[in-house]
Amino acid sequence: MTERLWQILVESFPKILLPGLKMTLPLTVIAFAIAMVIAIVVALIQFAHVKILSQFCRFYIWVIRGTPLLVQLFVVFYGLPKAGLILDAFVAAIVVFSINEGAYCAETIRGALEGVPSGQIEAGYCVGMSYTQIMWRIVLPQALRTAFPSLANGLISMVKDTSLAMNITVAEMFMATQRINARYYEPLALYIELALIYLLFSTVLTWLQRLGEKKLASYGGKEARHA
Amino acid sequence: MLKVEHLRKNFGNLEILRDVSLEVHRGDVTAIIGPSGGGKTTLLRCINFLEKADGGTLTFGEETFDLQTIHRKDIARIRLRTGFVFQSFNLFANKTALQNVTEGLTVARKMPKDQAVDTAMNALDRVGMKDRASHYPSQLSGGQQQRVAIARALATSPEIIYFDEPTSALDPELIGEVLSVMRDLAVSGMTMLVVTHEMHFARDVSNHTVFMENGQIVESGESKALFLQPQQERTREFLRTLSAER
Repeated sequence: MTERLWQILVESFPKILLPGLKMTLPLTVIAFAIAMVIAIVVALIQFAHVKILSQFCRFYIWVIRGTPLLVQLFVVFYGLPKAGLILDAFVAAIVVFSINEGAYCAETIRGALEGVPSGQIEAGYCVGMSYTQIMWRIVLPQALRTAFPSLANGLISMVKDTSLAMNITVAEMFMATQRINARYYEPLALYIELALIYLLFSTVLTWLQRLGEKKLASYGGKEARHA
Repeated sequence: MLKVEHLRKNFGNLEILRDVSLEVHRGDVTAIIGPSGGGKTTLLRCINFLEKADGGTLTFGEETFDLQTIHRKDIARIRLRTGFVFQSFNLFANKTALQNVTEGLTVARKMPKDQAVDTAMNALDRVGMKDRASHYPSQLSGGQQQRVAIARALATSPEIIYFDEPTSALDPELIGEVLSVMRDLAVSGMTMLVVTHEMHFARDVSNHTVFMENGQIVESGESKALFLQPQQERTREFLRTLSAER
């Protein structure tokens, strides 16, 4: 490696990482948090077969899962202003990513809810709890534990998907790298550097996932069973 | 204290329960025996509203309800006065043994936490599970889980506890510990309605036995009498088959 190239890489590292910490990370964290709220509400509505609302939820999942994320970004950021709704790029990205991820996570959580044995609900009724109390205290915690690896999967995907936000002018890591590349024209080295930074983010999240799974295993996990 | 009259239940075209009537007095230990598929479990589940009956009335304490039209609020109110022990234990998997017992006290009955913990520890002590209070269900054997489940039912001071084949899911060597807890409860005067395949329990512990088959009560009476001198041919046959198996 030439000294010039090495210098470009060293200099660009913080210039890529910083937008990562200032844009990619907050975008992911905020959007995923909202997505979880959407997903839990949608999953519970479907699980409880709430009339009309659960049909609406099915429609939402159908539309979101059936259209490309990039198209959804364009509709919201470039399309909605035509209808009089102008959103800041970062806000538009949050809206799209949370609504998109919410649809996928809702299905994951619904599946997990249905996997909780019905005896858990019956036992809840028999000790005098209400349906809402049973859902919040017994069924949902168990379902989220089952769903945890899949949800973590979704979170890791999302970190990488945020690179699409560049297309609606969000100055995240990908855009930062493109700008540096426009100046030095070292696409191979710079984009590999970018990839490694994404890998770094994903690695941290994978590590957090393991940590979380270990914590959740304290009840009923394989290790706990032999304690 | 509990009276069921003309209870009917169908699953589709299949008649599971036809005109079942049953009465339990305070302090009674009533065993329901009979061949599998005879409707014993369904009867118990209808009485605690886990299944919706297609007809019949339930008198609980002083009040009588139509089982088909009973309001959700009444169901909730009655359930606060009963306990239920399942064949498959159904302990809350995400709660420790202690939390399994306190849940019904703090959440459903709004008991202060420290008082609930005291009550729960007493109940766990009664079933010999005090030293396992902080274990999760997956860390307990079947017999231990069932004893915690009994403590969970017991802690709410119910007026009656329903047992749905409480030992049927257990390995043979674990049945004894659960039966002995149930025997202690019976001796202490708890009102119990027990669906069981344990004939020794029915004969020696319960003071009243009901024999059910094909969704109907064939015969019922004082346990000793029913086992020694069954009045109905079907009861005789059933008891004979059982003793032949031993």
